[in-house]
Amino acid sequence: MPTVPILMPQLGESIAEATVIRLGIAVGDAVRTDQEIIEVETNKAVMGVTTLCDGVVSELRAQEGVSYSVGTLLGLLEVTDAEVARTGVESLESIETKRIASQQASNPTQAEANLHFALDDDAYEEAPAVVPSVKGLPVPTGVLGAHYISPRMRARMDDLGIREADISAIVGTGAGGRVTVEDLERFLDYLDAWPSSPASPMRLAVADAMRRSWTRPLATVGLPLLLDRALDHRRGQNPKPGLTLYLLRAFALALTESPATAGYLIGDKVVHPRSFDIGVAVQVEDGVLVPVVRKVDQKPLAELVAEYDDLVDRARRRRLTEQDCSGGIATVTNFGTFGLTTGTPIPLPNETLILGIGAGAKRPVWSAQIEAFVPATEADLLLTFDHRVVDGGGAGVLLNRVAALLQKPADL
Amino acid sequence: MSVTYIDAIREAQEKLLREDDRVFLYGQDIATFGGAFKATKGLAEQFPNRVFDAPISEDAMIGMAVGAAIEGMRPIVEMQFADFSSLAFNQLVNQAATHFYRTGVPIPITVRLPSGGTPGSGPFHSQSMEGIYAQYPGLVVLTPATVSDAYHMLLDGVALDDPVIFCEHKFLYRWLKAKSINGDHLPIGQARITRPGKHATVVAYSAMVHEAVRAADRLAQDGWEIEVVDLRSVKPLDLDTILASVARTGRLLAVGEAFPWGGVTAEVIARVSEEGFHLLDAPPQRLNARDTPVPYHPKLWAAHRPTPESICEALRKLLSF
Amino acid sequence: MKPYSDGTVMNRDFLRSAFRSMLLARILENKLSSLYKAGKIVGGVYLGRGQEAVSACLGTSLIQGTDFFAPLIRDQAGRTAFGEPLIDCTRTYLGSVEGPMRGRDGNIHRGRPSMGMPAMISHLGAQVPVVAGMLFAKRLQGTLAGRVGATCIGDGATSTGAFHEGLNLAAIEGLPLVIVIGNNQFAYSTPNHRQFACKDLVEKAKGYGVGGFSVDGTDLLACASVIGEAVKRAREGGGPQMVVARLLRLSGHGEHDDGSYVPSEIRNGHYGRDCIEVAMRQLVENQLATVDEIFAWQDEFGDDVQRAVAQAQQEAVPDPYQEDWTALATRFPIPQPIFP
Repeated sequence: MPTVPILMPQLGESIAEATVIRLGIAVGDAVRTDQEIIEVETNKAVMGVTTLCDGVVSELRAQEGVSYSVGTLLGLLEVTDAEVARTGVESLESIETKRIASQQASNPTQAEANLHFALDDDAYEEAPAVVPSVKGLPVPTGVLGAHYISPRMRARMDDLGIREADISAIVGTGAGGRVTVEDLERFLDYLDAWPSSPASPMRLAVADAMRRSWTRPLATVGLPLLLDRALDHRRGQNPKPGLTLYLLRAFALALTESPATAGYLIGDKVVHPRSFDIGVAVQVEDGVLVPVVRKVDQKPLAELVAEYDDLVDRARRRRLTEQDCSGGIATVTNFGTFGLTTGTPIPLPNETLILGIGAGAKRPVWSAQIEAFVPATEADLLLTFDHRVVDGGGAGVLLNRVAALLQKPADL
Repeated sequence: MSVTYIDAIREAQEKLLREDDRVFLYGQDIATFGGAFKATKGLAEQFPNRVFDAPISEDAMIGMAVGAAIEGMRPIVEMQFADFSSLAFNQLVNQAATHFYRTGVPIPITVRLPSGGTPGSGPFHSQSMEGIYAQYPGLVVLTPATVSDAYHMLLDGVALDDPVIFCEHKFLYRWLKAKSINGDHLPIGQARITRPGKHATVVAYSAMVHEAVRAADRLAQDGWEIEVVDLRSVKPLDLDTILASVARTGRLLAVGEAFPWGGVTAEVIARVSEEGFHLLDAPPQRLNARDTPVPYHPKLWAAHRPTPESICEALRKLLSF
Repeated sequence: MKPYSDGTVMNRDFLRSAFRSMLLARILENKLSSLYKAGKIVGGVYLGRGQEAVSACLGTSLIQGTDFFAPLIRDQAGRTAFGEPLIDCTRTYLGSVEGPMRGRDGNIHRGRPSMGMPAMISHLGAQVPVVAGMLFAKRLQGTLAGRVGATCIGDGATSTGAFHEGLNLAAIEGLPLVIVIGNNQFAYSTPNHRQFACKDLVEKAKGYGVGGFSVDGTDLLACASVIGEAVKRAREGGGPQMVVARLLRLSGHGEHDDGSYVPSEIRNGHYGRDCIEVAMRQLVENQLATVDEIFAWQDEFGDDVQRAVAQAQQEAVPDPYQEDWTALATRFPIPQPIFP
């Protein structure tokens, strides 16, 4: 025969327990549905505990004068199957069956989803399967290294004067492989053992410009340039223009034919040059300065010599003004002067193009005219460009045009 | 012998009635009946003519308390449920809250709001109103989470010269027990680090402090050390303690039982983002009840409010960012 | 002392005093209206024109320092009669930082709660339970005997929950509360028949179990007799008293309003008469004041008002940089005791 529990009911909000003051039944008594069988007292009132169905008291656990928390088993009724069906009461047997089923269906952590019930109230043992209402906050996946810098990490880096590029050496141990403040501190502690020196202001300025420039997709193209005609022309001039000045002039003239190539991309537009002012990279102690020669397209080579020489001279003596170095649209760098044959120049962060030339070298060149090899001076001419603005084709046209102009130095 | 949260509230009122003759109690069914939750049980007999039954007139109850406060009394008004204080809203936010600013005459009233949900209480006996009152200038809003705080903060609240909204959690009334009212007595306006940790901060108040501690216990099994900050008073808000905790952990989750739109958790997040952005390793998160009325059935109710389970879930997400 | 038609005795001092308050209020309010129209006043100006007799009789029946008086928006005469200094009014309207509200609240919201005159809020009916609470405090302190608390409201405020709750509460507690309802027939623009369905508002008194009186609010002698009686009953322990005074406001709801919605038959009817003119005739006819006296008072009050306006205008206005910007009396954070 099914057994139906008599439980201490919840007799009002926030009531945790009640005291049995009178048991109106004894084991063996027959009880009827809705009969008040136990009198209990809460701190609010005296009330009766009623039965849910007809049956016979088979066990009585409650004692008079004792307090029981809500949901405590006070006694048991033996009830016929027919009565269970009629009243729809839950028997101990059916509760147990459900419990086992729900345990099998849900994982154990769900079963204790609300700890108040689980801890304090056996009546709610089948705890609700709470669906967490947590939203937002995407979990980072596949984001490794220092791609994400938290505000906290950023603040600590600012404290220390450290830039994002500086921490590329650190392997992150944070969520998603992120570099944490602790990783940074550990790395700095490790570096403490190494010799170090303070970086000069010039070094830091170059570093900053290069970091900023490097945020763009830069590409370099090059071709071999025959220098003999320019060198021959140069020998006949007084005062003699530097080889770099030939490049400057040829570069400016070539750019007048496709000014957008030197444009600066910002948002959804390309800003075009207003004036063909070209900078020249001058190596100085612990850094590079880039004075700008104005309106290079409008002045023949001979007229540019004095201006150019003055700028280079003042650059070496560190006597340039801020104005001398501003407003350029592109730069020429002659790293051939250091005996280097090739390289990948990096444009200034505010420019899209930089033209570079390596050291010249004697090579045999086949002359169709005299049907023999003749000696020629050849150097690598290189153009680095912001690939967002210019493509390889456009860069190639520009570079070939510069090379062609340099073959007619008298026209420059 | 243990002391429950509601015992503490009753004892605090008894002490106040005994020691301060400016104090009187006013509320529905609080005299001979002892209050719907028995927070004033026996006090009417013990203190004749100090504990009064009020008509079902929430607006007039607060208006009357304001008048009595002008004339030097320190009334404690019991709202039968926090939810019903909506009927006294005008007197609370327009009369009591503006009075000192407008006239220079303080209004030392304490309004006790039996707040928060219990199973089966439904939409009109479960609300958490602290965020609404905290929005208004001129009110102090207290949300004790422990037996000891319930006692000390009620005493301290009545001692303040300002109107105090005392949000006592109904779930804690009898479920929460302490061996005694201990001596840990922080001033009003100061938060407490309930549990120290270093990986994330949970800012909670009232019953949610206990849920947060349970969540922290579970995460401790996985090696996470979660710091739990109990606000104690939501207004004034102890931003210093919150920021100091976030500075230690870099991660913040604010948990509240009130509805999700605005409110205390939103304020905590906003203030930390404003003043402690540089302390954060992850976007600050908040967890509240759902954006529906508080449901009646215990199963719906338990899934409506934050639980240790959902707090754990939110923390795991936060920790993995 | 002359007998009223109902047999009670005319109190010469009371009537002269009430009339002086009416006159001062009228002169002051005319000045406020003029200042408003000259752009000198920030915010609204709400006047008690036509309601002075009722208000003055209530104010004159109260004892400052003992009684409580919560005026509403048309109670300049009552305020003056209760003892509010003229300068409180001009300072508040003109924004002087020396005023009781220090620029934090304006015009008719002014009050001096610690001197028995709470500062009204805009929500009608809200002062009813406040006055009840002040009286309740005195009962608890054992000093209620001989005291009354009074508040004025209009016909519109009788529709609010606050009025109902407050009056019911006062009735339950048997507090000496006098509610004077100035039924000026229009709540802003809404006529009585859209405000209540009972024949006369005084019928409500019975429902609340409080004393009820009706009076012609344009008649100073009647007001003095009826309001004086209501206050006396409350003072002698008769519990709350309600007085319904029938009248008409002789201006718009505020000075921004011309009251054009008041039908001409009402304006030209009995209650459209000006209570101050009625009062003047009553005083002269009953030899309570001479015409010369009245003219002298008029000159005196004109000067007083002008002086109060001049003084307030010369005073500093509030300075946002000096304001402490806190709504709380407590200064947080509260220091933690080192030796608890």
